[in-house]
Amino acid sequence: MELGEKLEILADSAKYDVACTSSGVDRPGQRGSLGSCAAAGICHAFTPDGRCVSLLKVLYSNACSYDCRYCVNRRSNDRPRATFTPRELAGLTIGFYRRNYIEGLFLSSAVLGTPDRTMELMIEALRILREEYHFNGYIHAKTIPGADPLLVERIGLLADRLSVNIELPSENSLLRLAPDKKKSAILRPMGQIAVKSAESRRQLAVYKRAPAFAPAGQSTQMIIGATPESDRHILDLTEALYKKYALKRVFFSAYLPVVEDERLPALSTRPPLLREHRLYQADWLLRYYHFSARELLSEAEPNFDPYLDPKCTWALRHPEFFPVEVNTAAREELLRVPGIGPKSALRIVQARRMQRLGMAELKRIGVVLKRAQYFITCGGRLPARGTRAEIAGALLDPKAFAVGVQQLSLDDFVARPLHCAAPAVQELADHGVAARQAAQMVRQEALTCLTRRM
Amino acid sequence: MSYQAYVTDTAYHYDGSYAGFLCCIFESFARREIPAAVCPPQEGQMTLFGIRQIATAPARAQRVARGLQRLGAEVRDRVATGFLAAVPGKDLRLLRFARLCFDRGPGAARMLGDADAAAAFALERAVTSEAHRYVEFLRFEERDGMLGAVIHPKHFVLPLLRGHFCSRLPDEDFLIFDATHGTALLRRSGQVQYLAMERYAPGPDEAEESWQALWKRFFRALTIEERRNERAQATHVFKRFWPDMCEMQPEAPAGGAHS
Repeated sequence: MELGEKLEILADSAKYDVACTSSGVDRPGQRGSLGSCAAAGICHAFTPDGRCVSLLKVLYSNACSYDCRYCVNRRSNDRPRATFTPRELAGLTIGFYRRNYIEGLFLSSAVLGTPDRTMELMIEALRILREEYHFNGYIHAKTIPGADPLLVERIGLLADRLSVNIELPSENSLLRLAPDKKKSAILRPMGQIAVKSAESRRQLAVYKRAPAFAPAGQSTQMIIGATPESDRHILDLTEALYKKYALKRVFFSAYLPVVEDERLPALSTRPPLLREHRLYQADWLLRYYHFSARELLSEAEPNFDPYLDPKCTWALRHPEFFPVEVNTAAREELLRVPGIGPKSALRIVQARRMQRLGMAELKRIGVVLKRAQYFITCGGRLPARGTRAEIAGALLDPKAFAVGVQQLSLDDFVARPLHCAAPAVQELADHGVAARQAAQMVRQEALTCLTRRM
Repeated sequence: MSYQAYVTDTAYHYDGSYAGFLCCIFESFARREIPAAVCPPQEGQMTLFGIRQIATAPARAQRVARGLQRLGAEVRDRVATGFLAAVPGKDLRLLRFARLCFDRGPGAARMLGDADAAAAFALERAVTSEAHRYVEFLRFEERDGMLGAVIHPKHFVLPLLRGHFCSRLPDEDFLIFDATHGTALLRRSGQVQYLAMERYAPGPDEAEESWQALWKRFFRALTIEERRNERAQATHVFKRFWPDMCEMQPEAPAGGAHS
């Protein structure tokens, strides 16, 4: 098979893996080798679905011997199969890297025979890259559930980041949809990586030349919407993963129906993109805003509001916390104000050492005053007094009502709800209501509902 | 302020170089005034203000540069990086910012509530973020064993790209041609040079074309149709970057010419 064709098949099979970040490790270039890494990560292209391409994201092989229900590459699915050779893959990575197309390699694989054999082939490809091409760029490798711990250790010394996919948010779902994958087979390598990685960091602090084991840590991903778990369950799990396994990131992937199966949502189901977006927002609140999962969702409200972002929802439920005085409040308090993020919170704290802050100053600093103005005081004065309806209007997330002309074809200029719009808008549009009108109606209703709740 | 400075209605004209700009700062202190405009040669042909021609004196420029150095890396980099911006009126903003910093100390760089500090910060950010975009979206093509790339930046970002690409490709020769400013960054056998250049038009190369075809094929395969969101794509990669990126080019019509 020709290389281009293989690449196409194996990239197509890998595209449902969400993680494509190149962050977490800072490594300057060195004479005699090729490449460098930047801790913040670098994106190199964006596909028409708006997702970033940072790494050459491919499967080593898509000829899988497992039969997971939700997966395109499952054994019983009829599709073209391909497998790289280690040398082909290494050459391809270097060719793309030199042209500044990519930041490195993201290597995953279907289970080719046994997990151990698959891992050995992946390790060989990475070894060629690191030792023969002296490749110093980023490598993200996926460990195959059920592979030998010794192989996990070897791949950890070659890759910057490792990940083990948790796939589905509960053991029951896993049992039902991925009968070949066991919960223990997923969590054991995760634990091993966490321990090894911490150990390697301790050694590196003492010996500069100690071997680095997955210096950029590990991440995982799970599918949202294929199974009935609530947002609360998912967020609790996410928080537990961050705490227990010191994960760098947990990725969510809205379930795209790719196979017909009675245990899965119907093929016509839309991917729950807005829900995925809300989960990512909450994930950010956990990692950068000092929120805990239990603060964001309660037993009574186990799912996120489609029309409000999680931070605004929290703010509306806790009126006693506000207003916050920008000239004296601690950074953690500022972070809870809708419209103030980590960057503007830091800038506020730095700027107020030199000057008093009023509305004009906050605007220059870059605070989103549209939302923040109702939650702060500047020098004891409330900058804005709004009616409840005005405040609600400022807080509603415009993303939920997004309408536009998506595909530029010659005969199709009709506005449609964007993929990330709220399900209610999509449904109305499906029933023949004009998209803009549908969005307007849903927004009006959400506004009334929210005003009443405040 | 430690001593009074008045905003006057004089415009400073200087030669457009960084040293010349530093001399404008010197002049502003020497005369205890803040000019109404600071103009490099390409700006300020017509002005209502009285004009003062500022000569570039290396000794004075050095003194101001040392002063900026004393204020710390944050202030120094903000002035130096902001100066690379191609924004009319940037010189006056940076001069006012430099005066603010000399007056209030290094912390003034973080006084973003202040109009002058915020303006200088915005200039620096415009330049660094454009440079970062080119770190992301620049595309090399290999011709005769050498990598070459063409970019069309708004600001003069080449000095900011130099460190990144020299570190990333330590043993490669490469050339980055800034078509807007007619300058090229050339790195050959470990030496870096800036060259004035009119155009860069290498001939076609078969191996290079097949690499580009592979990349395009990969890029297309990665798109998930059900999630198509061109708006998000265009907010991440502004359309002005597209002409220089091979994967953003429309497909050549298959089947040759029209009948």
